[in-house]
Amino acid sequence: MGITDFFSAAWDTFSVPSPDAEAPVQGGSSTKTPASGTDEESKDEKEVNQKDAKSQDDGEQGHKPGDKDEEEEEEEEESVDPKDTLEQECTESKECSPAKHHYDECVERVTGQIESDGKAKEDCIEEFFHLAHCATQCAAPKLFAQLK
Amino acid sequence: MTMLARSALRTVRPLGAAARNAASRTATRSASTSSSTAEGTASSWKTNALPAGATLFAIGSVAWYYQMFGRNVDAMTPAEEGLHPTKYPWEHAKWYKTFDHASLRRGFQVYREVCASCHSLSRVPYRAAVGNFMTVDEAKALAEENEYDTEPNNEGEIEKRPGKLSDYLPSPYKNDEAARAANNGALPPDLSLMVKARHGGCDYIFSLLTGYPEEPPAGAVVQEGLNFNPYFPGTGIAMARVLYDDLVEYDDGTKATTSQMAKDVTEFLNWAAEPEMDDRKKMGWKVLAISSVLFALSVWVKRYKWAPIKSRKLVYTPPVQSKILTKLPQPPNKS
Ligand code: HEC
Repeated sequence: MGITDFFSAAWDTFSVPSPDAEAPVQGGSSTKTPASGTDEESKDEKEVNQKDAKSQDDGEQGHKPGDKDEEEEEEEEESVDPKDTLEQECTESKECSPAKHHYDECVERVTGQIESDGKAKEDCIEEFFHLAHCATQCAAPKLFAQLK
Repeated sequence: MTMLARSALRTVRPLGAAARNAASRTATRSASTSSSTAEGTASSWKTNALPAGATLFAIGSVAWYYQMFGRNVDAMTPAEEGLHPTKYPWEHAKWYKTFDHASLRRGFQVYREVCASCHSLSRVPYRAAVGNFMTVDEAKALAEENEYDTEPNNEGEIEKRPGKLSDYLPSPYKNDEAARAANNGALPPDLSLMVKARHGGCDYIFSLLTGYPEEPPAGAVVQEGLNFNPYFPGTGIAMARVLYDDLVEYDDGTKATTSQMAKDVTEFLNWAAEPEMDDRKKMGWKVLAISSVLFALSVWVKRYKWAPIKSRKLVYTPPVQSKILTKLPQPPNKS
């Protein structure tokens, strides 16, 4: 969404819109391209497909099952949520160290209470709020810069 | 212009005079008081005690009043209120931006594959998707996957037919009771207007979906059947965390991390609640464009019409006056 989109949007706004639906024509009574249902390539498609096949991997034609899927699986295992990492970094940052300090202290105190009395006299929800607020605030712009 | 300035000056002059008078008057008065205190320096603390005491009393009472009534009082504890969502820089919320329609498409996929098993989206028809994030054929195919009631036939029987573009998205449960029964007594609300129905809108929903911590903070009490979520008022929500990395597989190859899915589905829900947004902003631009041209035009017309009136000059040339007396017959000068 840059300045070019702005101009194209302005153009769309003031130009007479095309009466065609946005979907590409499929089926119907078009005479140029085969209607959906045929598996054959049209001439144009054939050319494009051939080009694609050439540009993708020379010499080898068609999709080889197995190796690519494996790659994808590996990728999937790797995908880490940037929100978690960014917020973790923010929690450790200097900006949030007071909130983190209070939270850690509270956790220590309350765990101590549970251990000695078997029951917590207070909770750390407020401290958690302050820390979470600080961390999300700090991570928000960085996160949205990374997401699509 | 000069007239205005001159009349303004004229009003200032008496003010200045008054100020001068006042200054001289206070000067004489202070001269007299200083002469009276000069009589005994020992009694000076007595004169100061009263104003100083009054000042202290005033400050004290304001402080007392403030601590008694002036502070914010919250009926709810922060936990009951819930953590206020962080503001995220949503692209589509800017006044010159539209929805990201690729994101809408991904968001709809997340809704269909994840949320639709619990939440209805009953105000959105299939036709709304056409041209926004689906082609006609895709939307038709999707509609046909579900069955809808027909009008009663000749025998009064209601039959089933495949869905059409004009049908609305199906609800996961027959009614609210069925929804409650399936969800431990909690009703998953309809999401059609959810973005408008919650403080924080998109920020809240995004935070809610991504905000489940690994474990609740120490000492927090989480009721049986509820899950800890700081953003939900009360922090105990009946909906467990639903989004996990790579839960869906996007057809545009976008990495389906938890926050990516949450962002997409939130933007999609914003669209569901406000499908007119793109058109509304576009209309706003048209209004601005046309009305600024019309405004410029009206300024020009006004100046055009007023030019002769503003620049005309009224000149009064008095008729040449010859002295009447000279015309009178002169009496003969007798000496
Ligand atoms: C397993 C069923 C289930 C699924 C799947 C599910 N939800 Fe929920 N959702 C619930 C229930 C139950 C509630 C009511 C929670 C409550 O009132 O405590 C709820 C509440 C909500 C609320 C309202 C919170 C509020 O402030 O009242 C939102 C928003 C929401 N869900 C969004 C989503 C979205 C978006 C998805 C898909 C990514 C989703 N849910 C998936 C069961 C579900």
